[in-house]
Amino acid sequence: MFFQVLLRALTSTNTWHTTLESAALLVLPALGGVISERSGVVNIAMEGMMLTGAFASVMITLALHSLGVNDALSVILGVLAAIIAGGLMALIHALTSINFKANQIVSGIAINIIALGLTSYLVFVLTPAGQGVPSLPFSLRLPTLPWGPLANIPWLGYVLFQQNVIFYIAILILIGVQFLLFRTNIGLRIRAVGEHPQAADTAGVNVRLLRYLCVISSGLLSGLAGAYLALGVAGIFNPGITNGRGYIALAAMIFGKYTPLGTAGACLIFGLGDGLRIPLADLSPNNPNLTTLLATLPYVFTLIALVGFVGRTTPPAADGIPYDPGSE
Amino acid sequence: MAVTAKQPETSDQRPPASRLAQWARTFGAALGRPIISVILAFIAGAIVILITWPNKTVDPFTNVINAYTTLFTGSFGTSENFSSTLVRVSPLIFASLSVAIAFRAGLFNIGAAGQLAVGAMAADMIGLTFTSWPSWILVPVMLLASILAGALWGGIVGFLKAWRGAHEVVTTIMLNWIAFYGTDYLINSHPFTAPFGVTQTIALAPQAQLPFVATLSNQIFGTHFNTFFYTVDISIFFALIAVVIYWFIISRTTFGYEIRVIGQNPKAAQYAGIPTKRNIFLVMALAGAFAGLAGSTRLMGQPGYELSATAFSLDPTGFDAIAVALLGGGTAIGVLLSALLLGGLRSGSTAMQAIAHVDPNLILIIEALLLFFIAAQFLPVLRRIMPTWLRLGRRPFLAPATTGTTSVALPENGNGDMQNEIEIAELDKEE
Repeated sequence: MFFQVLLRALTSTNTWHTTLESAALLVLPALGGVISERSGVVNIAMEGMMLTGAFASVMITLALHSLGVNDALSVILGVLAAIIAGGLMALIHALTSINFKANQIVSGIAINIIALGLTSYLVFVLTPAGQGVPSLPFSLRLPTLPWGPLANIPWLGYVLFQQNVIFYIAILILIGVQFLLFRTNIGLRIRAVGEHPQAADTAGVNVRLLRYLCVISSGLLSGLAGAYLALGVAGIFNPGITNGRGYIALAAMIFGKYTPLGTAGACLIFGLGDGLRIPLADLSPNNPNLTTLLATLPYVFTLIALVGFVGRTTPPAADGIPYDPGSE
Repeated sequence: MAVTAKQPETSDQRPPASRLAQWARTFGAALGRPIISVILAFIAGAIVILITWPNKTVDPFTNVINAYTTLFTGSFGTSENFSSTLVRVSPLIFASLSVAIAFRAGLFNIGAAGQLAVGAMAADMIGLTFTSWPSWILVPVMLLASILAGALWGGIVGFLKAWRGAHEVVTTIMLNWIAFYGTDYLINSHPFTAPFGVTQTIALAPQAQLPFVATLSNQIFGTHFNTFFYTVDISIFFALIAVVIYWFIISRTTFGYEIRVIGQNPKAAQYAGIPTKRNIFLVMALAGAFAGLAGSTRLMGQPGYELSATAFSLDPTGFDAIAVALLGGGTAIGVLLSALLLGGLRSGSTAMQAIAHVDPNLILIIEALLLFFIAAQFLPVLRRIMPTWLRLGRRPFLAPATTGTTSVALPENGNGDMQNEIEIAELDKEE
């Protein structure tokens, strides 16, 4: 019984389609986190940046649509707005933690709170009678990208070649970030700034500028993930839409040991938890609620990773310490 | 930004002042930063209302004034409103003490929300299982269950921090979500869930609830407290006792002294022979116990309060507590006053929505800005352009050692000090 259900779940195309979709949703903010933490700025605000991005994408898309802009253009501008909105939130985080030397955890918490407060508040102000954002028509959602004949391959087609357009962008970004961090001059500088900013400064690296860029790019990526979530997957906005995904991304980043590829692997594992949730409900027809416990698995895995049973995770050496040119 | 370093130590250069002036100066030093932060946050909130102008029937400025007046009268204006503020304040005090005691040891307890969840769930499970027990035994057992569950949840964090070097911020975030989903599962499981497919638990029996202050005082004194304390339950007294206990632990016990030393300088604590690891474990367990009590008092305080599946992931108490502890500077009296402020904001926001038509989520915006203003070092910049008579505080009351305005809260990637200690301990063994 158990193995039958498990086998059916693991061979179903739906499971893997959902798994990859969830993983792509997680990998964007998680990569943002990797870039930010590698440069030495602790970022627990991916949740808030994603939420802001999701909000901006839906609001701008709907607004442009009602102004008579054609559908495709309003979606594209909505995605751009999401990226910019995420970047602006990240800019606040960068400003407080780099210039004003605030505690980066407090700043991150404040970003998460203000994102929740501001989006809920603006939904109330901007929608008629404050009744919330309507569900988007399909013409205003991010389309899936069919790969012609590839999409018709029996099993693989639906899993790999009928995903949302942002999914493929996410894969490109993943490869790009891995290349950037470990194969380019800038990547070397980013890592140096995160490990020993004084040394990097002496070698002529502009520590603050680099950290600013890294924190902001974490916001851009999280904002893009927000647009993917709101315009691509859910097709609606409400202030609870991110539902802890930013925190799972944080977990994935740590589980992946602060490397892009490791993080992507962690996102796949965590995404599988999402993909298996519906098929595994058949395991206990009397208590479908049991699958709620599956949702805890990403966090349990991460705790185990932190404790060091699968090799200890260590953050960059200067992570969380504001850079002060006068020290040492 | 080398502004901080250039601040002159004016307190030593001033002529000796009268005792009153000295007292006023210490008082100002302690209160300056939080008060300025609160004022700035309220001004920023007013700007948000001015820009968005939610109530178009009046002009924007009247809208702001209406919003803040109703916010105040809705939280402190009448005795009924004040009592409903107190209902919110008592769990908030417990949760804030949880965050505050961890701050004093240099630890960042983001996990109050999760510890609160397991505490409330443990109390609820006891209360729904042993329905036949009389009140005088059931209530203490439920409270004890919440303390133990919270202490377990916090203790895990302390254990991982002290012996495995895992950063407490990360572990508490993970444990929060494990707690949210775990309680979600239990709430929807057989013995506890309400029938007819509602995703919430059965309501607690009356004997499992804390009595109202009014009911209790009527039994003892007659009826004259009735109008004032309206619907406050006796957990507000427990909360006040907890504040006193917190003060006593922090400033009058060896344990409190030791955790303050650890918070200021873990290496010094290690060299002074303070059992750092054991104390970190104990302080996190204690923090968890406080947060667990926040959960059970929230649950048992008001009649007809059932736990729903999203009760905890959406409950703001755990995050409000961080703002309260930071605003209160980790002191007992500061926590009490800040909890009144934030609890008041929360409870007044419904009146603000009903009368001034401002969405209650404005409170979240104000709270977040408050966090920014407390944490960010604007004040050295601000103080330079302020007139002399306004210069109250000389030094940020957020001592760097406690919450890391500089480098100490997250020392060398946050685990560095602990790793050093492990190395030190291993060196000791070799000798």
